[in-house]
Amino acid sequence: MTILIGENLNIMSKTLGPAMKERNPGPVQAMARAEAEAGIDYIDLNIGPARKAGDELMQWVVKTVQEVTDTPLSLDTTNLVAMEAGLKVAANKPLMNSISLQPDRLERGLELTRQYNANVIGLLWGAEGMPRDANERCALAVDFVYRANQMGIPNESIWIDPIATPVSVEINQVKACFEFMSMLQDIAPGCKSTVGLSNISNGTPAHLRPFLNRTFLIMLMRYGLHSAIADAFDPELKHIASGNRPEMVEVVHRVMDGAAVSLGSLNEEQIRHVKTARVLTGESLYSHSWLEV
Amino acid sequence: MALDIPKTRYTGSIKQVKLGGGDKAVTIGGETAYPFYLFEGQMPNLPKIAMEVYDSPPQDWAEAALEPFAGVTGDPVAWAKKCIDDYGAEMICLQLASTDPNGADRGADEAAALVKKLADAISVPLIVWGTANHEKDTEVFRTVAEVCQGKRLVIGPVEEGDHKKIGAAALGYKHTVSASTPIDINLAKQLNILLGNLGIPDDMLVMDPTVSGIGYGIEYCYSVMERMRMAALTQQDERLQFPIICNIAKEVWKTKEVKIPESEDPKMGDIKKRGILTEAMSAAVLLLAGADVLVMRHPEAIRLVREILAEMTAA
Repeated sequence: MTILIGENLNIMSKTLGPAMKERNPGPVQAMARAEAEAGIDYIDLNIGPARKAGDELMQWVVKTVQEVTDTPLSLDTTNLVAMEAGLKVAANKPLMNSISLQPDRLERGLELTRQYNANVIGLLWGAEGMPRDANERCALAVDFVYRANQMGIPNESIWIDPIATPVSVEINQVKACFEFMSMLQDIAPGCKSTVGLSNISNGTPAHLRPFLNRTFLIMLMRYGLHSAIADAFDPELKHIASGNRPEMVEVVHRVMDGAAVSLGSLNEEQIRHVKTARVLTGESLYSHSWLEV
Repeated sequence: MALDIPKTRYTGSIKQVKLGGGDKAVTIGGETAYPFYLFEGQMPNLPKIAMEVYDSPPQDWAEAALEPFAGVTGDPVAWAKKCIDDYGAEMICLQLASTDPNGADRGADEAAALVKKLADAISVPLIVWGTANHEKDTEVFRTVAEVCQGKRLVIGPVEEGDHKKIGAAALGYKHTVSASTPIDINLAKQLNILLGNLGIPDDMLVMDPTVSGIGYGIEYCYSVMERMRMAALTQQDERLQFPIICNIAKEVWKTKEVKIPESEDPKMGDIKKRGILTEAMSAAVLLLAGADVLVMRHPEAIRLVREILAEMTAA
């Protein structure tokens, strides 16, 4: 079972952005309700960098959403003042999305985690930016967990995000993400994890994105992925996350094991998973027509 | 104990593509190993050099680049003949620079008439290069393709945005297509798939990964070409198993580094030597990355590259 964090309540949205700015609760609550009804475990509240009056905005969004659902919330902002404002009013143990390892953010962010007894996403983004491989991810994860533990935050409250990047950009980064996930429990036993699932399909034609997201989820789940920030409205993701797609999981695992998988005996959906898994393992090179070749 | 030299395990090869017709036709591709890994496989067709000819007299060229073509730059046919007769060009690349809508905006009919005249006058393969303006290139190449039916031209750049119309014209009149993508292996594969879906046969397709010269990101081009060859030769990626064409001359010769006079910046050294060496060295880098066709300009740079080629492939 993997927990799903709905990504759709986002200030970048053409309807929700203006609604947030105008403090118009209708569209925000409609989205929150829709995500809850879709069976999402956490609702991510993405208010962006929110440089101006981010604290007021975050409090308003949290309260507005909590009026219609008691689904736990993920507070998504890089503005720590806004983050704290949200933590003050969030009812269920919320998730801080996210704290990176940049020195000016780590200490202040973890202090908030401790103070408000929150869950925190440890984003493996270091002082030098994006980690280049699995080893750099490990080093960053160790630093994050060590510092959090020192401050009294238990591993169970830490959700490590290894950072997923688009398959169309650099396949080695995708492989590094898998490799890191396979080591996380050895590095930090009991630590949780999350990943921005849709990142994998950034740059891919919109109608094809779900196929990458779904197979990517199956592959990450094999490495014990605890949660994923994902499209709340792809019901297939919910099925996969809930363990209801064993016949898809089986073929994806075979590709991951390097087994020869003949497409002849498979159904259409399984074939799509196999082709996608071949791309995500790096066995075949991605192109927008990957499902057709 | 005998030493076992590790060998790359190749599972694919580059497709062979025949350019032009008649006894001056040129075949490229066919590699079964990484570039110049002759200890692991074959390069049945050595990389070829196409010499540039412009459809109108160049306005802003470095003196060093103009010098070898003194007296012929106003006449593309004479220019091409000079390249072939005096400098041993194996192919000609006609740059249709004057069709640029942001420049002289010469019409499709006029451009096509020139291409036809040139194609009739020479027997080596002719590459015809547009301006990468999708609308204009479509217009120009549809006319060129028709007027030059039977000439087996190579036409490019064919990009995702204009591949359907130009591709259809090339297909209809049997010209080879040069598929251009902006230094991105995934997009290169995608365009090859799309052109294949359109019906372009594999032996009528070459790839242009978009290149730049030394100092302008050539390492990215190298890396993309290298990965193309890895995918093609070791990962059975059959949509990347095409010969690569590199339009390098104009990238090198437009940089300020080949144009600044020595008097303005003495540490840059002799301006003529500088331009020639930049072109030759950029071309050499691309050869090592897997280029099958180099579009080049200066005869001396070409001589240097031929020398490198000969030494790299000496038994």
